[in-house]
Amino acid sequence: MDTLTFLIDRFDGTDSWRQRYEIPYKPGMTVLACLIHIKERLDPTLNFTASCRSAICGACAVRVNGHALLACDTMVDNLLRIWGEGALGVSPLGNARVVSDLVVAWEEKVERLRLARPGLDAKPEFSAQKGCRQAPADMQAIARQWDCILCGSCASECNKLTDSEKDFLEPFIFTHAARYAGDSRSAVPMRHVEAMLEHGLWKCVHCMECVTKCPKHIRPGEDIAAMRHMAVEAGHTDGPGPRHAEAFRTDLGATGRLNEVKLVPRTEGLVSAATKHLPFTLRMFAKGKLGVVEAARLFMADNPPVENIDGLRKVLAAERSPS
Amino acid sequence: MKYAFFPGCVLHAAAKEALSSTLAVAEKLGMELVEIPGWSCCGASHVQDVDPEAALVANARNLALAENMGLPVVTACSTCALMLRQARATLLAGAMGRANARLAEIGLRFTGASEVVHFLWLLADASEQWTRKVERPLDHLRVAPFYGCHTVRPPEIMGYESHLNPQSLERIIRACGATPVAIPERLRCCGFHAVFPAEHTAMRMTASAVTSAARAGADCLLTPCPLCHMQLDMYQPDALSAACGETPVPVLHLVQLVGQALGLTAKTMGLGRHIVDARPVLKAAAGSCG
Ligand code: FES
Repeated sequence: MDTLTFLIDRFDGTDSWRQRYEIPYKPGMTVLACLIHIKERLDPTLNFTASCRSAICGACAVRVNGHALLACDTMVDNLLRIWGEGALGVSPLGNARVVSDLVVAWEEKVERLRLARPGLDAKPEFSAQKGCRQAPADMQAIARQWDCILCGSCASECNKLTDSEKDFLEPFIFTHAARYAGDSRSAVPMRHVEAMLEHGLWKCVHCMECVTKCPKHIRPGEDIAAMRHMAVEAGHTDGPGPRHAEAFRTDLGATGRLNEVKLVPRTEGLVSAATKHLPFTLRMFAKGKLGVVEAARLFMADNPPVENIDGLRKVLAAERSPS
Repeated sequence: MKYAFFPGCVLHAAAKEALSSTLAVAEKLGMELVEIPGWSCCGASHVQDVDPEAALVANARNLALAENMGLPVVTACSTCALMLRQARATLLAGAMGRANARLAEIGLRFTGASEVVHFLWLLADASEQWTRKVERPLDHLRVAPFYGCHTVRPPEIMGYESHLNPQSLERIIRACGATPVAIPERLRCCGFHAVFPAEHTAMRMTASAVTSAARAGADCLLTPCPLCHMQLDMYQPDALSAACGETPVPVLHLVQLVGQALGLTAKTMGLGRHIVDARPVLKAAAGSCG
């Protein structure tokens, strides 16, 4: 192959178009090297951001064929192996306001980041004189979260954010909250968790895009799960999210298997199950997805317990008893 | 080849048709699936939110039960596959000691001997062999593959194929004689895991996949995950009513498409159990649906 073809999404503040560029192929080029080649040799009007060229500053994240990546840390050869030798589409990060071509705005994201109350409020035993030291293991517990370079890749394909950013935040914001909530030196870990509870902590759809796209291998989805656990432990057990998760835990200890008939009333309450979900339930009966007798049995009683249920109950956390 | 089969809760409940289809397809292909005695719920990507240790230990127990059978594990649910593979990776990365301390109380031990694979991967790997057994080529069927998040993500845990451009479903669709139809939602989320806490989001996601499939001229959607199937099929009327009367699109379980091509009967595959009936499009495509 002699030529690389890029189809780049352009935006000049008013008009949007897709522009084709061809550059000579050389093995071992990064996506950023290609963008720089285009800007220096073919089209000085193409805008993108980059600085460190070492996967540290987070400025160069773009989407290739719809997937976020760091342009400076991605070899074109690897992309050609995945998609074949056709043109590569380059576009700005998703779930972001585009300023110009591949450049997205960060002002509003930084404002939203403030919602996590980032910043450490240290325990009273620490002082300017004594310092604020922590054990290596405690530091390791949040080391991954501290690796965030604010590149925005985790947010680009976040399925929840694409649907609506009104009741959810960029995954890296949850990670920032988690790094303070999980800091052994913090006097107020729940401050960050409670802030996230107000901004969609239970609305993550588990699509795993953030975990997949983070170039630093941070796992915002796991940070969300960890803060949900902290919230539940602190008594924030109301709402469909925690009740839904708890229903699965209850069934695990009770019979070992999910009771799908009790899931809706346990999550949303009996009234909602009997009214709002009635058309759904009738549809299930009509198509034989669920037998009426079977449903009545599952509602009044439960699944038969799995073989060796006592063993299962024994190995699950001792302090929780099945309800 | 013999496998320890982890059906997961849904195959014994709302997706019984996926259970019968999986077992029948496996039999046709000469695979023996032996259900793991005493398997429990994998945690369904929810239990870790309230009790992460319980989720880990339950799966350590599931894997130890399979190891006792001396067989690799196969599951036909993408979330089960992710939960089991994630737990296995966590256990092997250092959590094994504390999990085994618990398991020792009931005479079990996790060693990591049993790999966990998705039934999709077995079908994709063997497609060149079983395509010769196709009795009913689905020549006129246009199928929109919908992978489901947990089928491919996160790649460190799932890793069977590129998460950016997976091709296993396309390969299987072609092996059945049918034609894959690409939709923008191919790798996106169906909404299932947040259908209660983020109901409107979930419904819009579902509507979007269905609408794209209809507009792309697909006869049906295809998914290897029974949870995606529940969301895309069972909730489709709700999702479409919110999306103002778009055309319904039937949703096939992966194993039903393969079963249809291999000549299984509609009854075996539980084709009557879908909310959006898939039998008319299968009939139109192959002349008969058993
Ligand atoms: S240029 Fe700094 S991360 Fe790529």
